[in-house]
Amino acid sequence: MKRILVAGIGSVLLGDDGVGPYLVRMLQANYVFDEGVEIEDLGTPALDLIDHIAGLDALIVVDAVANGAAPGTITLYRKQDLTRCTPAVRLDPHSPALADALWAAEFYGGCPQEVLLVGVSGESYEGGCALSKPVQGSVERAIQEVLRELDRLGIGFIRRFEESETQIWWESPLAVAR
Amino acid sequence: MANRITIDPITRIEGHLRIDVEVENNAVSNAWASCTMWRGIEKILRGRDPRDAWLFTQRFCGVCTTVHAMASVRSVEDALKLEVPPNAQYIRNLILIAHALHDHIVHFYQLSALDWVDVLQIPKADPAKTAALGESLSAWTGNSRMTMKAAQDKVKAVAASGQLGIFANGYWGHPAMRLSPEVNLLAFSHYLQALEYQRKALQVVAMLGSKTPHIQNLNVGGVANAIDLDGTSALGMDKLEMIKVLLDDVTRFVQQVYFVDVCAVAAMYPEWFKIGSGVKNYMAVPDLPLDSKGTAYDLPGGYIRHGDIGNVRGFQTAADPVFRQAVTEDVTHAYYQGGKPLQPWSGETEPQFTGWDGAQKYSWVKAPRFDNEPMQVGPLAQVLIGYAQGHELTCKYTNMTIEKVWSIGGLQVTPDMLHSTLGRHAARAIRACMLAELAQKHWQLLVDNIARGDYSVHNAPALPNSETEGVGTHEAPRGTLSHWVVIRDQKIKNYQAVVPSTWNASPRDSAGALGPYEASLLHTPLARPEEPLEVLRTVHSFDPCMACACHAFDPSGKRIAQVKVL
Repeated sequence: MKRILVAGIGSVLLGDDGVGPYLVRMLQANYVFDEGVEIEDLGTPALDLIDHIAGLDALIVVDAVANGAAPGTITLYRKQDLTRCTPAVRLDPHSPALADALWAAEFYGGCPQEVLLVGVSGESYEGGCALSKPVQGSVERAIQEVLRELDRLGIGFIRRFEESETQIWWESPLAVAR
Repeated sequence: MANRITIDPITRIEGHLRIDVEVENNAVSNAWASCTMWRGIEKILRGRDPRDAWLFTQRFCGVCTTVHAMASVRSVEDALKLEVPPNAQYIRNLILIAHALHDHIVHFYQLSALDWVDVLQIPKADPAKTAALGESLSAWTGNSRMTMKAAQDKVKAVAASGQLGIFANGYWGHPAMRLSPEVNLLAFSHYLQALEYQRKALQVVAMLGSKTPHIQNLNVGGVANAIDLDGTSALGMDKLEMIKVLLDDVTRFVQQVYFVDVCAVAAMYPEWFKIGSGVKNYMAVPDLPLDSKGTAYDLPGGYIRHGDIGNVRGFQTAADPVFRQAVTEDVTHAYYQGGKPLQPWSGETEPQFTGWDGAQKYSWVKAPRFDNEPMQVGPLAQVLIGYAQGHELTCKYTNMTIEKVWSIGGLQVTPDMLHSTLGRHAARAIRACMLAELAQKHWQLLVDNIARGDYSVHNAPALPNSETEGVGTHEAPRGTLSHWVVIRDQKIKNYQAVVPSTWNASPRDSAGALGPYEASLLHTPLARPEEPLEVLRTVHSFDPCMACACHAFDPSGKRIAQVKVL
């Protein structure tokens, strides 16, 4: 059995940065996957990301990217794209750190062989709990990229007959905790 | 003529700490700390149900998720005068302790040890001598020659490949690096072992909080853990025993490895007990409540002014009347509109970005003040305030530190020397030892209380229509955290979080008083200004975390912190 993690990364409080967590909830609500596949909203992890990725066969990350492309554009990055640059001297060592976590896992051992970042170019990262129109419009395409990668890795999945309740609690105006 | 050096990690689009220092005759003559991003996240909470606030606040930061959740439920409980059942207090306390232990271990090893340990000296070490040194310092079983050899081989492989990977960012061979190859290897092997133990601590958080990084088990009024001693899905003896095993392991690592390593680094870099003091006003709030009302705590709080330890003042409760009155935020040098300092309950966050100007506005961080003075928060504040009040556990581990540093390096540490960069590291290790011991105590309190037949975990909140305000505090790994809520018509009217890193990373205020990072850097000697390792040592000793921010991945490759010498 392959161990695979699909991780949504980003802050649900900062506009389009929430696209990763949003997308993993859509995946959870709409699909059933083979055993060994975890679908997780990891928020904005720093180096503790190492713990989540060590020992995996494959990692698929969905995150907002600041690459200057038009909002809603989807760009795929592989492991070598992400670790192309070496880590920086850090004043604030807790800064979120996908590339640094990959570098660290490479050194400690257990870095996944297969890494894919499904990057969604955002429009706005201002405080707020909603995705912009272009990013909202890209979610289905981003999901298809995740599914294509799972398929390539030999992972089976089916669409649920009935959509289970999607819990995008941060978009709900009131009383979500009960 | 002073040179200005800017250290600005330009990697991501927001949320960064930037440090500017002026250097004269190879020492820092002036300093500015700034954060480069406006958050304004608190506005999102307005109009929402106060019982939901914690779900949002734990998304402020990816590192300190649990602490913001905890401060949030406490703020609403304070506003509603709602008591919390003892079981819920103990479960919360165990989560807070486990999170803090994880955080302190990661901070020392993964995030700051390599400021002191020169990785590229490791290939020169003798593994047998290293093992002997390790065994002379501690009873830890992970100091064997084989373990040292394995760690050394890892470094040799990286050095031979020419690709330094995660170590590409260090100031190796810097003249301020002074450990012997053996001490470097010993510390580095613990750096590798630390990963496993921080993970065990996090497992405790996950088992009690049902998930990490975002715990799910909180409620305003208590926790959502169902207690059933014989059950497997609820919190029963099975799970509690597993938690105990994990806590025992982490406790051993903290006391036999982390504590010893900090003492060893301290003994070998004695000059760093004289560098990095800065603001000598300290503040901590009481934490780890022992009863439902919050009248007794295992960690003391209070404040010290101008380094006058003899005149410590205690806080009686976690939301002490003095604390409620004395905290204000000043925006003179921060990118916000506004005039005179405001209390958080009436706090405003209207941005007014003007660009960096050291004489005017230069940071997105507001300047929190306690009775108009900057305060240093964090483990050093906690330890000094506890020590000054004769708090038994604090005194025990502080005295053990003094003895250990003496036995390793023949260096006599006095409490006065703790106002320093090394003092902050030592205090964090002291606090970790205290927390490890308290984890055992609170585990037992929980088990005993359940054994007495008390299974209650929650008191249901009732929201009034009238306006009410509350403050919830937590003495978090980086220091005093407070959430301030105003509730009206059962909804949140205003919400402000005053986080530890804003106390410490505070810019100047209207009186021109420097914040703790800024003041701590003054007079720091720099061997090579273009490689400001010494600045990093002091800034890292505070364990800065500005991650309460957005972090869209920047693939452009601009990953090198910019060190600009003007």
